[in-house]
Amino acid sequence: MKLLRDCPLLVGIGTTAIILSVISFAFKDTAYADVGSGDEGPDEPAIARVFKAASMGIYPWTTGEEPDESLSTEEIPPEEESEPGDGASNESSPEEVQQEDADISGNSSFDLSGNDGTFDVSGNSAEDEVYEFTDVDDDYFTDALFIGDSRTVGLSEYCEALDTRATFYAKVSLTIYDCMTKDFIKTDDGKMNLEEALTKQQYGKIYIMLGINEIGTGNEEYFKNAYSEVIDKIRELQPDAIIYIQGIMHVTKAKSSVDKFFNNGNIDARNAAIAELADNHDIFYIDMNEAVDDGEGNLDDSLTFDDVHLKASSYERWHEFLLHNGIIR
Amino acid sequence: MINFSDLNFIFRFLPVFVIAFYLTPSRFRTWTLLLGSLLFYAVGDLRMVPALAGAVIVNFLFARTQSGEKSRSMLIFIVLIDALMLVEFKILGQYVDSSLLPVGISFYIFKMISYQADVYRDRVKADAAFKDVAAYFCMFPQLVSGPIMRFEDYEKNKMLTDTEGKAGHASGRKKLRGILVALEDGLLYFVAGLAMKVLLADHLAMLWKEIGTIGYESISTPLAWLGAVTYSLELYFDFWGYSLMAAGVGIMLGFPFVLNFDHPYGSGSVSEFYRRWHVTLGSWFRDYIYIPMGGSRKGEGRTFLNLLVVWLVTGFWHGVNLNFILWGLVLFAIIVCEKYLVFRFLPRKIGRFIGHFNVLVLIPLTWVIFAISDRFMLAEYFARLFPFFGTGIAVNDADVIKKLSVYWSVLLPGLILLIPGVFKFWENHRRHVAFTIIWFFLFWACIFSLSNASGNPFMYFKF
Repeated sequence: MKLLRDCPLLVGIGTTAIILSVISFAFKDTAYADVGSGDEGPDEPAIARVFKAASMGIYPWTTGEEPDESLSTEEIPPEEESEPGDGASNESSPEEVQQEDADISGNSSFDLSGNDGTFDVSGNSAEDEVYEFTDVDDDYFTDALFIGDSRTVGLSEYCEALDTRATFYAKVSLTIYDCMTKDFIKTDDGKMNLEEALTKQQYGKIYIMLGINEIGTGNEEYFKNAYSEVIDKIRELQPDAIIYIQGIMHVTKAKSSVDKFFNNGNIDARNAAIAELADNHDIFYIDMNEAVDDGEGNLDDSLTFDDVHLKASSYERWHEFLLHNGIIR
Repeated sequence: MINFSDLNFIFRFLPVFVIAFYLTPSRFRTWTLLLGSLLFYAVGDLRMVPALAGAVIVNFLFARTQSGEKSRSMLIFIVLIDALMLVEFKILGQYVDSSLLPVGISFYIFKMISYQADVYRDRVKADAAFKDVAAYFCMFPQLVSGPIMRFEDYEKNKMLTDTEGKAGHASGRKKLRGILVALEDGLLYFVAGLAMKVLLADHLAMLWKEIGTIGYESISTPLAWLGAVTYSLELYFDFWGYSLMAAGVGIMLGFPFVLNFDHPYGSGSVSEFYRRWHVTLGSWFRDYIYIPMGGSRKGEGRTFLNLLVVWLVTGFWHGVNLNFILWGLVLFAIIVCEKYLVFRFLPRKIGRFIGHFNVLVLIPLTWVIFAISDRFMLAEYFARLFPFFGTGIAVNDADVIKKLSVYWSVLLPGLILLIPGVFKFWENHRRHVAFTIIWFFLFWACIFSLSNASGNPFMYFKF
C-alpha cells in the first residue's frame, strides 16, 4: 500500500498497461481477429490493438459474428485482407472475401451487368433514347442532390452557385459502404440517414462522388458491387431522377507515386469499374478529372494544397465541368 | 521510436530502459545510460551513429587538453570544428538530401560547444571521466531536440554516483523509495507533456492543415487570424510538450528538472518572450554567442550589431530559406524598437501595454512567417490577415464558424494553458489525488489517440 501512496500514477498506468496487453494477446484470434495490427506500421506494442479495436466498436466481449452496425447486408472485408501481396493476414480471410463477392454478384449485380454493358444499351432497347451531354445553366441544379465525401463538402462550401441551389448530403469520410445507413444528415430533430432522406423528397438529378476513403477496402469488383447496390436503392427511392456517377477525383502525382493505396492507378481501376454501372439512359457516368488534370492523368498540383482536395478557388473548375456535362431529357 | 510520443518508446523502450537502468549497480549506471542512448539513436538514425560517436570522442579529447593550463586557441579551434560540422551537415541536409542531416545534431553540437566553453572557464572540471562526458552528450532524453542541459546539471544526478550508497548508508528500502518517487514525478511531467503534444498540438496541426487545404487566397480574414493563433498554439504545445516529456524522462533517471518553457506568452516584451521560450536555447545563444561578442556592454552600436547577428544566426539555423531569415529579421526589428523606442521614450504603463500587445499579437504573426516557406503563399496569407488590398478568391465567410465549431475543444484548453497560473497550479498540486486520477485518464486518452493514428492511414486521413 505504501507503493500505491508513493507512486499511484505509475502503479495505475503500469497495471492497466499489463492488463490491456494480456487482453490484447488473449483475444488476438477471436474478438480482435479483424483488427489490423502490424501491417502498415511494421511493429507496434500489442496494447495498440485494444484501442484500435475500441475505436471500431470492437471489445473483447464482441462476438465474431455480430455484424457491424453500419452494414446492413454483408461485412466489409477489413482493409488489410483486401490488398494482394500482403501475406500477413490469416489464411481464412481471403476466402471469406471471395465468398462474399460471389454472394453479391449472384444476388443482384449479375443481372445488372448482363444488360448494362455500354454497347448493349442502344441495341437492346429500341425505345430507349440515347442522351448526350450538353451545356446547362445553374438553374439546372435547383432540383439536384449531391452525395459525397469531404470533396463534395468542399464543393458545397466554395461553390456558391451550387450551394444556393442544390441540396448537399455530404460528409467527411463518407464511403459507398456506409452512405445509405450512416446517420449523417441533420434534421430539425436529430439526424437521419440517406435512405430516409431520399424517401422524403424527390430530386431531378442525383450526383454521387464517393470512393476515395474506401480505396484501401476491398477490390474494384467489391467496390463496384457496393456501388451498384447504392444505385439500385436510389433508383428505387427516386424513380425519376437522373443519376450521375462521378468518377473519383485523382490525387496529385506527388501523392500517387508514393502511396500504396491513394494512387491514381487504384482510382482509375475503380472508375473503370463504376463506369460500367451507367446505362446512358437514366444513369450516367461523368469524370471531372479532365477539368483538373495535369496532362499526365494526375490532379494538377497547382490546384491543391494537400494533394487530395481542391483548393477553394479550384472548385470553380468542377462547377464548370458540371455545367458542360448535363443531361436534358 | 525516436519520438517520445511513439507507442514503441512509451511501452517498450522506456520501461525496459528504466528497469535496466535501476537494476544496474549505481557505479555502472552511466554506462547503461550511454549504451541505451546509443541504441536509441541507432534505431532512429543508424547511419549517423559514427558522426555522433566521432564528435563525442573528439570533443572529449580536446576538453582533456584543457585540464592543465587553459588554451584559448585550443578552445577556438574545437568550437570551430564543432560549428563547421553543424554547418556542413545543415547544408548537406538542405541542398543534397534531408536524410543526411543527423537527428539531433544541433542539440548535441550545442551541448559540446557549451561543454568546451564551460571547461575553459572552469565552470566544470576538465578531467571528467569519458563515460560521463559521453553520456552527457548522448543521453537519449535530450538527444533529439534538447533541452540543452549544462554539464553542471548533469553532474547533479545522484542516481549515477555511488558515493551516496557508501557515505550515507542509505538503506535499500530508502533508496528504492527515492527511485519510486523520482519515477512518479517524472511520469507526471511526461504525461503532461504527452497530453500537450498528442491531444492539443497534433489536433491543432490538423486545423492548420485544413486551412492550407482551403488555400490561403480563399480564407476569410477571421479565419486567417484564427489560423495564426492555431499555428502559434500548435508550435507552443508541440515544443513545450516535447520539453516536458524530455524533462520527465530526465527526472525518472534522477536528473533535475530542466526548464525549457517558462510561460512565454505571459511576457511583457518580445525580448522577454525569447528569454522564456525555449529557455535552454536562448540562454545558450546568450552565454556562448551574445555575451562573448560583448553583449550589451560595448555600447549601443555594438549591442545593435550583436542582436542582429544573434537573430540572423537563429533564422539561418532553422533553415536556409527566405522566410526564416525574414522571421529572424522581423523579430530583431521588434526587439530593437522595444529596446530603443518603446521602453525608452514612452511612459511605463503604455510601454507595458505595447509589450504585451507585441507578445500576444505580433508574435503569432511572426509564427505565420515562420510557418509558410513559399513567399507567394506568405504574401497571400498576409493579404487575408489585412484585407486592405482587395478581396480573396471564393471566400466563404462562414468558414471560421465551421472550424470553431469543430476545434473549440482544443483551442480553448490551449488558450487557457497560456495563462501562467494554470500550469503552475498543477505543478504545485501535482501529487493531489484528483490530479492523479485526471492524469491517469489523460494518459490513456493519449494512447487511444496514438493507437488510432499510427500505422493506420485510413483512420488518420479522412477525406
